[in-house]
Amino acid sequence: MTALVQARDVTYHYPDGTPALDTVAFTVAAGERVALLGPTGAGKSTLLQSLNGLLRPSAGAVLVGGVAVNDETVTAVRRRVGLVFQNPDDQLFLPSLLEDVAFGPLNAGASRAEAATRSHAVLEALGLAAAHDRAAHHLSGGERRLAALATVLVSQPDLLVLDEPSGDLDARSRRRLRDILAERREALLVATHDLEFVRGLCSRALVLVAGKLAWDGALDVLLADRAMMERFGLVA
Amino acid sequence: MSFRHLDRFAQVRSPVTRVPAAGRVFGTVVLALATATLPAGAWVQLGLLAAVSLALLAIAHVPLRVALARLAWPLGLVLLASLALLVVMPGEPLARLGPVAVTAQGADRFAMVMGRAMVALLPAVLLVSTTSFPELLQGLRELRVPVAVATALGLAYRLLYLTVDELERLQRAARSRHAGGGVTRRRHLITAIAAATLGRAFVRAERTHAAMLARGFRGTLPLLHAPVWTYRAVLNVAAVSILVLAVAASARLP
Amino acid sequence: MAHIPDGFLSMPVIAGTATASLAALATAARRSRAALGEREGPVLGAVTAFVFAAQMLNFPLGIGASAHLLGGALVAVLLGPWAGMLVLFAVLLVQALLFQDGGIAALGANTLNVAVLGVGSAGVTYRIGRAGLGETRGATVVAAGLAAWISTAIVGLAVAAELVLSGLVPLQPALLLVGGGHVLIGIAEAVLTGLLVDFVFRTRPALLARRTPAARGDRIRVVALAGAVVATVLVAVGFASSQPDVLETALARLASPVGSGLTAAPLAEYQSPVGGLWVAGAVGVLAAFLVAWGLTIAVQRRRP
Ligand SMILES: Nc1ncnc2c1ncn2[C@@H]1O[C@H](COP(=O)(O)OP(=O)(O)OP(=O)(O)O)[C@@H](O)[C@H]1O
Ligand SMILES: [Mg+2]
Repeated sequence: MTALVQARDVTYHYPDGTPALDTVAFTVAAGERVALLGPTGAGKSTLLQSLNGLLRPSAGAVLVGGVAVNDETVTAVRRRVGLVFQNPDDQLFLPSLLEDVAFGPLNAGASRAEAATRSHAVLEALGLAAAHDRAAHHLSGGERRLAALATVLVSQPDLLVLDEPSGDLDARSRRRLRDILAERREALLVATHDLEFVRGLCSRALVLVAGKLAWDGALDVLLADRAMMERFGLVA
Repeated sequence: MSFRHLDRFAQVRSPVTRVPAAGRVFGTVVLALATATLPAGAWVQLGLLAAVSLALLAIAHVPLRVALARLAWPLGLVLLASLALLVVMPGEPLARLGPVAVTAQGADRFAMVMGRAMVALLPAVLLVSTTSFPELLQGLRELRVPVAVATALGLAYRLLYLTVDELERLQRAARSRHAGGGVTRRRHLITAIAAATLGRAFVRAERTHAAMLARGFRGTLPLLHAPVWTYRAVLNVAAVSILVLAVAASARLP
Repeated sequence: MAHIPDGFLSMPVIAGTATASLAALATAARRSRAALGEREGPVLGAVTAFVFAAQMLNFPLGIGASAHLLGGALVAVLLGPWAGMLVLFAVLLVQALLFQDGGIAALGANTLNVAVLGVGSAGVTYRIGRAGLGETRGATVVAAGLAAWISTAIVGLAVAAELVLSGLVPLQPALLLVGGGHVLIGIAEAVLTGLLVDFVFRTRPALLARRTPAARGDRIRVVALAGAVVATVLVAVGFASSQPDVLETALARLASPVGSGLTAAPLAEYQSPVGGLWVAGAVGVLAAFLVAWGLTIAVQRRRP
């Protein structure tokens, strides 16, 4: 079986020369749930953005469904890998929620009627149906997170990539987001500092430290090893 | 004038809001153009066009008090701009206000400009009172505003809120650190705040662009809502436009 | 009054300015797309939002006065004239439709003045300034400030010309009040733009980097056209001031004793302006328009 996503020795330097990723290699299979951990500045956001072709590796390659990400394949790749950004304000840029959610399907060539139907359905499933004609600045922080998730779910990706999804959420909204994710059948890759959020949600963990992959294995094992967690800078 | 006006106006359903936004914008432009181009002395036609606008305001359930309140500020600006007309016009002096003389010709121009300005503002008040910003945007796109401008405005709506939030945060932070200070100090502070906001606006543009690309953006914002032009809406817009143009044309008959 | 309200302009002026603006915007849309590519939407959106936000900030000027940024020169410096025109047009459009700041029927004229001529002339001035003065921090700030001042003055001249061509006011008071007013406003705009550009130069120089080294022939053409504009403006100003009775009359009227009755001698002399002069003035300012227009087209040609 081909892996859903394969990172082959991905190395990345930002244009200003900052090294962010150093020969990172791993695979994610269909339906798998993976936590991406690491101290701040370790390169998590950079890695996530390279998975759907927003950033192209300086060396190495990313394969999605066995196909290398390049200019020709990037459109198809982005349909399979749905990325939820660290800050929902970056992702909600249109005047109303419904337009934001329908943006992906419309770009992919769906008709207006179909895009609207699918968007309404996703908003309904996330409990945001009543807010569909509101602008994002009239939503609460928790609603904004869910809305950002909706903009990606509507395109039915095979892999959901979430960057820091539980940041600035209160206990109840965090719980709700986690329950929603637990019910999804897509593969998940969640970058986070919130260990409680991924405990029980993900089965596997990747740990990045200073741009290098420091751990790839079961999440439970990692969480149980206090010394290793400290060495990776995951606990104080 | 605050950008928060963009969202302030409650909408009441009425025959006016049943016309698609593009129709409302079109009607507003026709009314404003007809009024603004009335020749001097066409007082009857000016009165008729005012009546049309007031009737539309009534049909849209905009209370007269609200309409007048919204008229006050822009009208004040027009008044300021046209006061000079009273005195710069050469001609027969009518009266002296202190050291300057009001001329008959000046008073004539002044009355004409103020009359046209006031009546031309009415349809604009009607438009803001019945149309939300997203609707307006949709209307503009249907009326073929350049794609780049429509895209910029579509994104600017959200970005404006984020930018102003950032601006206010920076101002609060700056105030809490430097209370008081001279004019030079304040000027430097405000420059720094404006420049920082500018920098962040560009960073935000980059990140928004990445988020758009991630969802398959290829340069143009897709349009979600198809305009719902009913037979009736077309008739209404056409009828009002023809009426308005007829009134305007009658002012130019020999 | 950079934003002309409805009621001030005549039909031919409304029609003419709207046509010119449409043509300019069509070109601007093409050029801006070519320059910014698919980043265009988000960049223009962010800068449009910034211009709106910046217009809400009051900069203290000292002596109790404050001013806010108009932004035409700043966007020309940051985005180049074409994308800058689109940004200011977007701002004008919203101001006219939602804030009643500037008339809806006068939108074509306001677009021509503020977006097309204002941003266009700022772009040209900035370009010439940097070509002549160099690319150092000081040169950049001076070029940007100069661009802001000249472009604000040109906006004022354009407004004055439109009011005169509409037959609303005679040429001389229009030039004095509107043109002169903008020359003063332009000083504040120059200071603000200069301060901002200086700050951007120090903190985010990448935003200012325009890698378009001018070819020699192009530079000569641009300088020649700029010289023509300056000459036209000088002639217009000279023409206005060569009529000493304008100032004299104004002063005399201000000074004439209060309550001296309804017949003031200076006003008699101030009777309707001579047709010949009137027409000459209108033609002069129109020429300035055309030259500025030619300039923008010349600059457009330089960018493939
Ligand atoms: N646009 C950029 N230009 C230059 N360097 C950058 C840029 N974005 C991030 N970096 C640098 O790259 C490195 C990795 O950043 P990244 O954002 O991927 O970290 P992260 O693991 O997501 O951190 P956090 O947990 O704080 O979100 C950091 O050293 C950061 O400073
Ligand atoms: Mg991150």
